[in-house]
Amino acid sequence: MTRETLEVDVLIVGGGPAGLSAAIRLAQLNQGAGATHASPVSVAVLEKAREPGAHELSGAILDPSALRDLIPDFREKGAPLESDVHGERVYFLTQQGKVPFPIIPPPLRNHGNYVISINKFVQWLAQQAEAGGVDFFSGFPGQDVLMEGVRVIGVRTGDKGISRHGQQKPTFEPGVDIAAKVTIFCDGVRGNLTKELLRRLQLGKDRQPEQFALGIKELWELPKDRVAPGTVMHTMGYPLRHEEFGGAFIYGLPDGLLSLGFVVGLDYKDPLFDPHMAFNRFKQHPFTRALLDGGQMIRYGAKALPEGGWNTIPRPYMDGGLIAGDAGGFMNSVRLKGIHLAMRTGMLAAETAYDAVRAGDTSAAALSRYQLKIDAGAVRAELYPVRGVHQAFGSGLLAGVVAAGLSVVTRGLVPGDLHGEPGHERMQTLRDYSGAAPGTMTTSNLTTADRTLTFDKVTNVHYSGTAHDEDQPAHLLVHTDVCSSICGPEYGHPCTRFCPANVYEIAHDADGTPRLQINASNCVHCKTCDIMDPYQAITWVPPEGGGGPQYSGM
Amino acid sequence: MKIAVCIKQVPTREWQPRLRDDKTWIREADVSYEMNEPDAYALEEALRLREKHGGEVVVCSAGPARVQQVIREALARGADRAIHVEDDSLAAADAFVSAGALASAMADETFDLVLTGLQSDDQGHGQTGVVLAERLGIPHSTIIMEVQIDPSTSSGQAGSLRVKRELEGGWFQWIAMPLPALLTIQSGINQLRYATLKGIMAAKKKEIRKASLPAGLQPSQQIVALAMPARSKQTHLIGGSAGEAAKELVRLLRDEARAL
Repeated sequence: MTRETLEVDVLIVGGGPAGLSAAIRLAQLNQGAGATHASPVSVAVLEKAREPGAHELSGAILDPSALRDLIPDFREKGAPLESDVHGERVYFLTQQGKVPFPIIPPPLRNHGNYVISINKFVQWLAQQAEAGGVDFFSGFPGQDVLMEGVRVIGVRTGDKGISRHGQQKPTFEPGVDIAAKVTIFCDGVRGNLTKELLRRLQLGKDRQPEQFALGIKELWELPKDRVAPGTVMHTMGYPLRHEEFGGAFIYGLPDGLLSLGFVVGLDYKDPLFDPHMAFNRFKQHPFTRALLDGGQMIRYGAKALPEGGWNTIPRPYMDGGLIAGDAGGFMNSVRLKGIHLAMRTGMLAAETAYDAVRAGDTSAAALSRYQLKIDAGAVRAELYPVRGVHQAFGSGLLAGVVAAGLSVVTRGLVPGDLHGEPGHERMQTLRDYSGAAPGTMTTSNLTTADRTLTFDKVTNVHYSGTAHDEDQPAHLLVHTDVCSSICGPEYGHPCTRFCPANVYEIAHDADGTPRLQINASNCVHCKTCDIMDPYQAITWVPPEGGGGPQYSGM
Repeated sequence: MKIAVCIKQVPTREWQPRLRDDKTWIREADVSYEMNEPDAYALEEALRLREKHGGEVVVCSAGPARVQQVIREALARGADRAIHVEDDSLAAADAFVSAGALASAMADETFDLVLTGLQSDDQGHGQTGVVLAERLGIPHSTIIMEVQIDPSTSSGQAGSLRVKRELEGGWFQWIAMPLPALLTIQSGINQLRYATLKGIMAAKKKEIRKASLPAGLQPSQQIVALAMPARSKQTHLIGGSAGEAAKELVRLLRDEARAL
């Protein structure tokens, strides 16, 4: 079967807030150009999910600054903003109690922002983009970057119809080569294509190592008067220890819905720690238990977050390519927000790409104007002052909180530039961390799930709506040689714990040899394994297009 | 061959439905939808018949505006054009109303063959195709596993069909019938193709004819109450020696569970 090819002027990989904002901006520029150009700049968006928004996961609180600039009449156009933010609280949790912060720290003040469902918001953005004439292809992941030397010339989409043994099924449909003058990579946190670009073009050279966290979220339905829509609560402390970064978010939505999530830095030291267990322990705290009592969990999801900040952002331009949104690490981990930065960088990338295509020069030099736009505007203004705060959390909770405070007072003079380590290198071996016997697999923060308030991972995954065609090759490429030979003895198979979807299990052969079993169809595409594996032996590649979670209403 | 395929948009199966407060339907606020699975097989069968015998495939759907999602998907997979009977009241319509709505929009087209899925994944009455055949005044056959068309026509004859029906217990039945006809298609009759990028782009230019709901179409059924299945788990411990226990287990599986 021959491979289809397609040519567009601008190809956008990833239909999230960054990619769709880029697409909408390009559509606007086309319309604004009017009669001056014979033909519009053609735009296509690739999205791996079955439909727009299905793989989107966030708290979410939206800072509307970028939305206001992109679609000034967003209210008239029916933007799904669930509620204005009001009633903010921040708590420090102890094992049984809670201490409210006397003041809301400035970065966590959300007046003027909105609580949203990012799933619905992205569906709406996709409608706006399609109304502007953009081709939106859902169910098509970007599988490989097409390059000529150091120049990005497009993307190959994933093949469809390959059996679990790697053979072509009768329905086999080869991936399509999409050639583009400019490709904007918006493939999200730890995007598979951006990861490849970072490696091949060394875009992270002279930058700090990237830093990540894992966010786990549930949507709950509560008695309607329990939490007012727009209520925003954050917690720090229990069940995390001082050495672990993270905390909870609790956002009230209309109709008695509650967004409940827990973020854990993917730089914890304890190899026996399990982020999902931490989430369950948080739910067992008297404060959370009382909040959720009588309610019902209706959705589950998990996704990594780029936490590293300004100094970890790679060079976001190259010959024929730009990087925007979470893929480039454009997130403010101090304000716990990234949607507006994803949208803003998507818009700036679109403007840069449009000018470059019109000028007939899409070289790295021409596309470097993207960096100038970032530096001159709201993105740097927001991220530069807090550039060392996440790294300060590497020295513990107290250091992080102090650094966050000082960054506000000194406008970024303190803590300034701090060095960070890749999170997976901070994980210690069993022997170094606790002296546990080689091969120990007992979770250190173990707790049991009651299936009313707390759930095991398999039950949770069921509520993520995740589905993949079972007859396809595993999309988690693991160099399994390390599993039983060194990873088990040294770290006790941490993949079985850091994965929030029970993808990794250790089975035993008849002779007792441990063997890694990969339940790839459970995967919620959070990318944690690709990030946190201490040997970096796991590579996440996209499964057959359309597979993955279904985060309706999340 | 002028082939019609009737498709329905249903909630995805990987989803935990929640009931409305009045318990007569599910909450639609956070539902995601997909093409009803047997309908997808019906569409695929129509596309294969067109490849063999030529002609056109027209996809027909009755539902609110949101069903455009599955109509566009069908066009992307290769259907030539579409008819959409659009009305909000069709969201949870019964088979009689759905079939009536479709029949009024399809009547003028004089299709040679009409395919529907065997049943819908949401309500599952398995009636829409049958009622539609009656409304269109053409014969029908149900639970179809294979379709053979003899298009040889002499003096205005529309040709004939041989179809394989699935019966119980692994039995099949072959039926010969004239065209035009309506067939309700069983899942698994063929292998579904993927939509291609070019197909998706081409679909944007294809015609979707809007039709309105005919007046006076009253529901003949009413959902009184929906209920979630009660979770029950009964554990029966069988005592005795391994041999006795195995014997007893086989007896229980055969006589009580009827699994053997």
